[in-house]
Amino acid sequence: MTQSPTLSRRSTPSASPQPRKSRRRGADARAGYTFLLPWLLGFIALTVGPMISSLYLSFTNYNLFEAPKWIGFDNYATLFQDERFLQSVGVTLNYVIFGTPLKLAAALAIAMLLNSKRKGQGFYRSAFYAPSLIGASVSIAIVWKAMFGDSGPVDQGLSFFGINLGGWVGNPSMTMPMMILLTVWQFGAPMVIFLAGLKQIPADLYEAASMDGAGPVRKFLNITWPMLSPVIFFNLLMETIHAFQIFASAYIISNGEGGPAGSTLFYTLYLYLRGFSDFRMGYASAMAWLLVVVVGIITLIFFKTSKSWVHYSGDSK
Amino acid sequence: MIDRRKFLTTVALGTASAAFLSACGQSSSAGQTGSAENPVTINYTWWGNDDRAERTRKAIALFESKNPDIKVNGNFTDFAGYWQKRATEAAGGGLPDVMQWDLSYLRDYGQRNQLLDLSTVKINTDAFDKSLLPSGQIRGKTYGIPTSTNAFAVYYDPAKLQSLGVAEPDGQWTYKEFNAFMLEVGQKANGTFFGGTDYTGVWWMFNIWLRQNNIQAFTEDGKLGFTKDDLKKWWNTTAELRGTPALVPEERVTQLAPKSAMGSNVTASEVTWDNFMAGYLGDSGAKELKLVPVPSDDPDNLGLFLKPSMLMVASAKTKYKDAAARFIDFMVNDPEVGQIFKTSRGVPASKTQRDGTTFEGTDKLVVDYEKSIEKYLKDAPEPPIVGFGTLEASFKRVSSDLNYGKLTLDGAADAWFKEAEDLIKQNA
Repeated sequence: MTQSPTLSRRSTPSASPQPRKSRRRGADARAGYTFLLPWLLGFIALTVGPMISSLYLSFTNYNLFEAPKWIGFDNYATLFQDERFLQSVGVTLNYVIFGTPLKLAAALAIAMLLNSKRKGQGFYRSAFYAPSLIGASVSIAIVWKAMFGDSGPVDQGLSFFGINLGGWVGNPSMTMPMMILLTVWQFGAPMVIFLAGLKQIPADLYEAASMDGAGPVRKFLNITWPMLSPVIFFNLLMETIHAFQIFASAYIISNGEGGPAGSTLFYTLYLYLRGFSDFRMGYASAMAWLLVVVVGIITLIFFKTSKSWVHYSGDSK
Repeated sequence: MIDRRKFLTTVALGTASAAFLSACGQSSSAGQTGSAENPVTINYTWWGNDDRAERTRKAIALFESKNPDIKVNGNFTDFAGYWQKRATEAAGGGLPDVMQWDLSYLRDYGQRNQLLDLSTVKINTDAFDKSLLPSGQIRGKTYGIPTSTNAFAVYYDPAKLQSLGVAEPDGQWTYKEFNAFMLEVGQKANGTFFGGTDYTGVWWMFNIWLRQNNIQAFTEDGKLGFTKDDLKKWWNTTAELRGTPALVPEERVTQLAPKSAMGSNVTASEVTWDNFMAGYLGDSGAKELKLVPVPSDDPDNLGLFLKPSMLMVASAKTKYKDAAARFIDFMVNDPEVGQIFKTSRGVPASKTQRDGTTFEGTDKLVVDYEKSIEKYLKDAPEPPIVGFGTLEASFKRVSSDLNYGKLTLDGAADAWFKEAEDLIKQNA
């Protein structure tokens, strides 16, 4: 299918024989930009501007009160000798590597359950989505802290089964499982997207597979997974990027300190502490930019590798 | 039909003029001084718990009734979040007009021109002890007025000791004796509560120990006055107690934060500032807590000092200097304010306020304690260096890691020294 030249937005004035129409188009564009202006101004003032200034600050020594002092790449060099920085990288990677796949697995499993025809399916769908609606809020982190605290419901429930772990919040080896549970529990957003993807898979594929005697595992591996792969890819990418940015829940559960013993010292939390507790805003800016670059590289790797496992309809593969 | 261009121009003009008008409105109605019909509003912020919030609300209401031309908009958080919030506001140029302040952060903000020089406004300091005022001053400028004084002490819960049949301490003890006391209590309590909290994680207690050994924490030129070995020796003081019933485990301390172990009723003793009495009583529900001096291996040198427990400061950028000054003057001098806070901010620093306040029960204990240690008091410690708040926080964090067993003694000392030296270099 080829586009007709008159519909093309790139048509040059010389290609258009009707000057009236072009003037009209110019007016349309002006109106468009006028309506775009508030957003554009906001974008420049609140996103592009701060990003540029943070890039500049990352090459300076800036304590929030006095004028920044240019120090070149010192901040970036110091980062890699900073043990707490390395610790924060470790904590965050741990969280991303274990939390994201688990969350997606939970989202996919529940989406598949909710995709079948059952009574009261609408209720279940809302019920499973609900935690994600409130999940990002500060209050949930507070509730979570109380639940996993000393003699909280989780501790008491486990001790009923003879497992005595004590409170999770104060135990450095239990805080990461707790944080991962918290993110897995908020599977609602990827679940909804999976559900929409599952609805797109033609039912006759499954019928045909059943006729050929395929079991549920075979159907999942040979139909669901490849048909759903673009959706899986999308969710994986979004959730990975999202996981790198975890902040609020870690801040609340550890009283803003990243403890116990640095076990919840997530990257963004350490960045925040460096900037606003230690007055090292240049250092914090360097951390922020390093995160941007790393997330960019990871996204690129995802896209490169996706070719081998993501299938789009109409692909020759 | 409305012409589109005309419409857009009108919308744009309308928005702009509305913004312009509102900006004008603000500057015309909010002058430097207010009147009873048109009061000015100043923002005041403090840290503390519910107990202090309640008392502060009472004090503000009293101030407003006596000064109908000023309204005070109060707001509080806990100590840890407090400083992050101030840093954000300072960076944006929007610090509250009046703030409760801590000595640890006075240099950071004062030396960097964020605080108002209070000698330029009218605040009466005639009733203050002359040795106390310099702690609010840096390079000849007065940035903070002390509201009250506090001193370090060992708290204990007499009811808990009685239930175990342990004699109450008299406060004349060495570190060894104090440790033995905590161990005895912990062992006899058999898991219902612990002997105390590991006091070696508290910077100010370390500072007192340094003074007991005639070591300065910081030198005149803003460097560390003690060695890594001093620090190791200090953290080693409770080494034998870690993991025994003498000390509450670090897991519990973390779980209970931001409340303290003593306030949460899980220890029988704790070493901390004497003005925490009201908060601890309120949090724990204990009937009575008592205070005795800190341990020392030299009975003639307890290393104790009176510190301004809190200061009142104003933002350098406040539009209402006079209103801010009047509020500060009221909070530090008014006898009725003393009556509201009693010793919950510390023992009132101004004599007018102290004399106008009746101290009974536990408040009397705090006042009596500060009287009883008078003969041991030395000059307030050398003024903390720029960035001291960060050092204090990392002292707590590193010693907590030590208690968790995540760091060895050598590793902990190395980690803290590295941070301290880095910080001193940064701010040089």
